[in-house]
Amino acid sequence: MQRRPVPTTALLLGSAVLLLTGCSSAQRADVEQVATTFADTSVDAETRCDLLLQATLDSLEKEESAPCSDAIAQLPIDGGDVQSMQVWGRDAQVRLSGDTLFLTETHAGWRVAAAACHAQRDAPYECEVEP
Amino acid sequence: MSERSRGFLRDNALGLSFGGLFLVTLVGQALSGAADFNAQQVSNSLEPVTLLEYVTSSSFGVDVMENWQSEYLQFFLYIFATVWLVQRGSTESKKPGEEGTESDEKQRVGRHAQGDSPEWARAGGWRTALFSRSLGLLMGGLFLLTWIASAVAGWAAYNSEQLGEREDPVSLLGYLGEADFWNRSFQNWQSEMLAVGSMAVFSVYLRQRGSPESKPVGVAHAETGQTG
Repeated sequence: MQRRPVPTTALLLGSAVLLLTGCSSAQRADVEQVATTFADTSVDAETRCDLLLQATLDSLEKEESAPCSDAIAQLPIDGGDVQSMQVWGRDAQVRLSGDTLFLTETHAGWRVAAAACHAQRDAPYECEVEP
Repeated sequence: MSERSRGFLRDNALGLSFGGLFLVTLVGQALSGAADFNAQQVSNSLEPVTLLEYVTSSSFGVDVMENWQSEYLQFFLYIFATVWLVQRGSTESKKPGEEGTESDEKQRVGRHAQGDSPEWARAGGWRTALFSRSLGLLMGGLFLLTWIASAVAGWAAYNSEQLGEREDPVSLLGYLGEADFWNRSFQNWQSEMLAVGSMAVFSVYLRQRGSPESKPVGVAHAETGQTG
């Protein structure tokens, strides 16, 4: 069966949009994995702490006056299925059925910048965990 | 009769010089933009990005495209406005009374084309009609393409900032209604209109000896369209 080539114009336009928006499907898969692993309370605390942005981890330990591996278990984080995901450049938002997370890309991969976030009307999300 | 060629570099010195300046200034924008972006990253407790990561980001994309679209808009409007509008005494204007697309004889089209006229000036029909408007059409087309690119890149950059500030991203339609999009557009457009208007008026009263953008030094202020 002869395969129809993708029109060059469509390829060029699609490439231009991807370049201009800085997003890719590979990023979405990484974001989803980090978000769902972090929000899964059955995953060991150390693994979940490794998925936190350093500044967020430091802030958590300072606020709770305890190492992350102890503090993270106390956080009101409910996981659940991914309801929606938005990835824009080096920032992402993942809505789980039980939580909303904000992630950012580092050179070590995607990390959770803010968790246990709740929408506020006409204002930024309020998050229990953030830098 | 065509002028005698004096070699590629001398014959194209103006285009080559500005092409080179464009590349140098684009690199300068990339370097300074990356430094500025990374300063914001650090102040937000985030990691700095590499130069390659920055120049492939929507942040750099929108900063480049928003400037390009305004330049092409400027030339598009300028090319069309100068067909119909005059500025008495300006080098950037036709003489008062000459408004409009002018006669075929003056424009050397169709049967009035000369031996060295471009082929499509002589061809007639849609070819001559298209060629007669090709400069404005190209500038208008480039404006539309770069404005669209600016909108798409701006949308992505805006949404990245939204997420960084723990706010929901918006749709493309939503972004076109945001102050960010129109602020970027108008801040660029105002400077372009100022530049063209300034040049049209200043060239009436001021001179730059030897430049085709100026009247000859001794030509009267009221004399329109002469260049040095």
